Amino acid sequence: MPPSTDLLQGTLDVLVLKTLAVSPMHGWGIAARIQQVSEEVLQIGQGSLYPALHRLEYKGWIASDWGTSDNNRKAKFYSLTRAGRKQLATELAQWDRLRTAIGLVLGEGGEVPA
Amino acid sequence: MIRETLTRLKFLIARKPAGEVDEEIRLHLEELTATYLQLGLSEQEARRRAFVVFGGVQKTREESYRQRPGWWLDTRRWIDTLSQDVRYALRQLARTPAFTITAILTLALGIGANAAIFTLVNAVLLKNLPVADPQTLVRIGDQPDCCVGDGSSPDGDFSFFSTNTYTELKKSMPEFEELAAMQAGFGYRPIIARRDRAGENARSVMGEFVSGNYFRTFGLKPEAGRLLTDSDDVPGAPIAIIMSYETWKNQYNSDPSVVGSTFWINTKAVTVTGIAPEGFFGDRMMSTPPEFYLPIESMPILANAPYVHTPNTQWLYIVGRVKPGVALAPLQEKLNARLRQIFLDSGRFSAEKDKVYLPKVHATLTPGGAGIQSMQKEYASNLHLLMGVSGLVLLIACANIANLLLVRGMARKTEMSVRTALGAMRGRIMQQLLTESLVLALLSGLAGLIVAYAGTRMLLLLAFPGAQSVPIHATPSLPVMAFALGLSLVTGVLFGVAPAWIASKAQPVDALRSSTRTTAAGASWLQRGLVVLQAALSLVLLVVAGLFSQSLGKLQGTDLKIQTTNRYIIHINPQAAGYSQTQLEALYHSMEDRFHAIPGVLKVGISNYTPMEDNNNGYGVQVQGIAGQRTIASVIRANAEYLDSVGTRVLQGRSFTTQDTSTSPAVALINETFVKRFFKTGENPIGHHLGNGSSPGDFEIVGVVEDSVYTDVKWKNHSMYFVPLMRRPPSATGPIEKDDNLYAGAIVLQTDRPMNDLEALSRRTLASINPNLTVVKFQPFTEQIADRFTDQRLIARLTSLFGILALLLATIGLYGVTAYHVARRTSEIGIRMALGAARLGVVTMVMRGALLQALLGLAIGVPIALLCVRYIKTQLYEITHVNLGVMAFAVLTLTIAACIAGLIPAQRAASTDPAQALRTE
Repeated sequence: MPPSTDLLQGTLDVLVLKTLAVSPMHGWGIAARIQQVSEEVLQIGQGSLYPALHRLEYKGWIASDWGTSDNNRKAKFYSLTRAGRKQLATELAQWDRLRTAIGLVLGEGGEVPA
Repeated sequence: MIRETLTRLKFLIARKPAGEVDEEIRLHLEELTATYLQLGLSEQEARRRAFVVFGGVQKTREESYRQRPGWWLDTRRWIDTLSQDVRYALRQLARTPAFTITAILTLALGIGANAAIFTLVNAVLLKNLPVADPQTLVRIGDQPDCCVGDGSSPDGDFSFFSTNTYTELKKSMPEFEELAAMQAGFGYRPIIARRDRAGENARSVMGEFVSGNYFRTFGLKPEAGRLLTDSDDVPGAPIAIIMSYETWKNQYNSDPSVVGSTFWINTKAVTVTGIAPEGFFGDRMMSTPPEFYLPIESMPILANAPYVHTPNTQWLYIVGRVKPGVALAPLQEKLNARLRQIFLDSGRFSAEKDKVYLPKVHATLTPGGAGIQSMQKEYASNLHLLMGVSGLVLLIACANIANLLLVRGMARKTEMSVRTALGAMRGRIMQQLLTESLVLALLSGLAGLIVAYAGTRMLLLLAFPGAQSVPIHATPSLPVMAFALGLSLVTGVLFGVAPAWIASKAQPVDALRSSTRTTAAGASWLQRGLVVLQAALSLVLLVVAGLFSQSLGKLQGTDLKIQTTNRYIIHINPQAAGYSQTQLEALYHSMEDRFHAIPGVLKVGISNYTPMEDNNNGYGVQVQGIAGQRTIASVIRANAEYLDSVGTRVLQGRSFTTQDTSTSPAVALINETFVKRFFKTGENPIGHHLGNGSSPGDFEIVGVVEDSVYTDVKWKNHSMYFVPLMRRPPSATGPIEKDDNLYAGAIVLQTDRPMNDLEALSRRTLASINPNLTVVKFQPFTEQIADRFTDQRLIARLTSLFGILALLLATIGLYGVTAYHVARRTSEIGIRMALGAARLGVVTMVMRGALLQALLGLAIGVPIALLCVRYIKTQLYEITHVNLGVMAFAVLTLTIAACIAGLIPAQRAASTDPAQALRTE
């Protein structure tokens, strides 16, 4: 059985936080949005999505509330908290640093060691 | 960070409703279903597709739950999975009763044997005395030296002391809150006790003389009445004694009227003022604990012991309680200095003559919480050996169970593959399999407690034959139960880990394959490895058993240079019966006459000690005219017929006759070792004189006897001399009333035929002389000698038992593995035979496999066995290396067992019907 997610756990967290920064959403919607925005590349399995959502909630970065979805179904909506907004900023900065570093090693720019 | 913690705390207190996650998942599934419905699928198809796309519902649930905070929640979840696993394990075990019962029995034997030996180890080596605050107790002295004397050890170490030394130390060492003294050698000096009531019999029992503050030092409270106080331990005080709880319960039925009643101790009247607390068996571990505790100052009256107030005669152990905060190192220094001063003051040593020795004088402070450690030193190495041996047997049993589990695991391969395919995580499967092993192990542990109880009882019976109240209980105590529990857990993990690891590696695709084709190569190697290990360990145990049996044989086969047929030993205690020294000569004549009057009695010997007894007495001796030679020799005081009665032959000169009385010229007989020690070869010892240092001319040597063994076979080459029973050294100046040595300890009877009623006759005969002359012990000579080998016999028997057990387990293990492999290769064997292989060829093939494992085990086991000898050498008698015979015997036994183990499956393999075999596919 392949591992539950191909994404690093931390990366999934930042994707969820960013998606929720736009607007509150329910689990089904988050997965659909990420899939859509990434042009079908990132497909989040439910096996990793829901645990991630609960983990983020327990850490206090997102909050949940029951509401009705657009097709009049009952759904649990998640929204970003103030602490979550701060965490998102931190994680985006970290992601930037990481992306630059990987790029350097892979030879996107700068010197290539002999 | 803080916000995070607070949020988790908030969720800890106000938990999310349990059904929320389920609700969320359900809604998500509905969304998915709706999407598929929109795409035009049927209701059923849409639902199925939704489930498939969603993935593992249970897994998502579990993962989501797992994110919850709080150790308690985690523990709760862990408890939930655990109880689920335990219930499943019990169901699985119930489904295969043959396997379960075999496994539990095997393990119960292994765990039970270990727990039984641990009971002994705990009681003898680990436990403290049941007294208040054992950690602050300190003993002055570190050796189990005994019993009465004024000798000094070459290194200046003192471990037992005179009354004078004790009182002086008590006065001058305020660092001790309490300092108590107790008799060192009460085990060799029984007292005679009789309740002052009509119809009560006199009994020869253990009584210990102790200081008045003995019970206070140990912080004990009486079971009834009161315990000894300082005012009881004063010369002239009315004699108050304490009875032990066991005696009160067993002999007097806990009769409350015992407290305050009169007892006759050694024919003197005393009062029993109290009962010692339950569970207190004295200050040392003994198979015969004291039944009475008596004040030291009453000893001159009760036991007529002259050494109580002799300043330099040592006879007491000292144990005390140190005041809190006192450092031990400076206390030790002060103690040594005080000791030297006390010896100088009492005249024991002189400043000029003992200039070199005096600075060496010391007494080591040792922890006193476990009491006087005499038995511990004796038995420690034996107990460690037994623990090691039983541990090895358990290891072999575990290897068997591991093999069984491996086989079982392979049978459940399909189950594991399916579970993995359904999404079970590897860790979860391992956890569940390990739980199964632990459940099995714990059940075995419980059964093992029963084995432990039975085993301990058997051990105690074998180790202390005939003892009335051994202070070790067979019922498992809390430490023993904890030990069994811990051992079960360790065992469970030990044999469960490897099979669980292998079984959990199952690939989902295996569920689709036919099981006969798959070979788990790793498991097969593990199985073979375990069998090899078992064979090696069994060999080691067999060799150890062989060595101990050999040692026992050597000991028992030693020529003791005595005669034992138709000979009986009666141990007596005239001192306790109230005889003073002046009455002894008449008593001995009386005994000789009356015993000779019994029809069948040929010789009546009377002496202070007999051969192969557990006690003797020794003094410094010199030969007049031979300067510079001095040794400690055992002294036997005997009547004329004694040497004949024990069968010691006279080699030179003459034996004692009835003419050698207390007033005739003082003569002595010496043994061969004495001759070798003092005289050059060819020199005639007859006519020389011997005596102690100050008067070496006391006794004239008139004869030489052979080296009969006294006390112990291992105690070789010690000098002995014999003098007539009542003959005091001519140079002796003190009054006869103070000479303790004239009391006989035993009567030896030689009869013309075996006499079964001799014990009753002896009692009557002695009682007719004096009703207080009780029989302390009556034994045929052969039995007295056999008693001296009890320990070695026990060890030899136990190691043999364990060796056989190990061999049995290893054989079963080898048989199991071979049979299993034969079963798996049934089709292969069928093909071979169809292609023309002879039956013999098949047998050879199977046997070769089995024997190879056995031989490999031997190859590993032999060097280990040879190495092990080094560690047990000290417990063996005159054995330094493994005898070829022992090794050959062990190797042969193992090989034969391996052949049998392999033959049965081989036969079954050879009788395979090829057509049938091919069809099993």
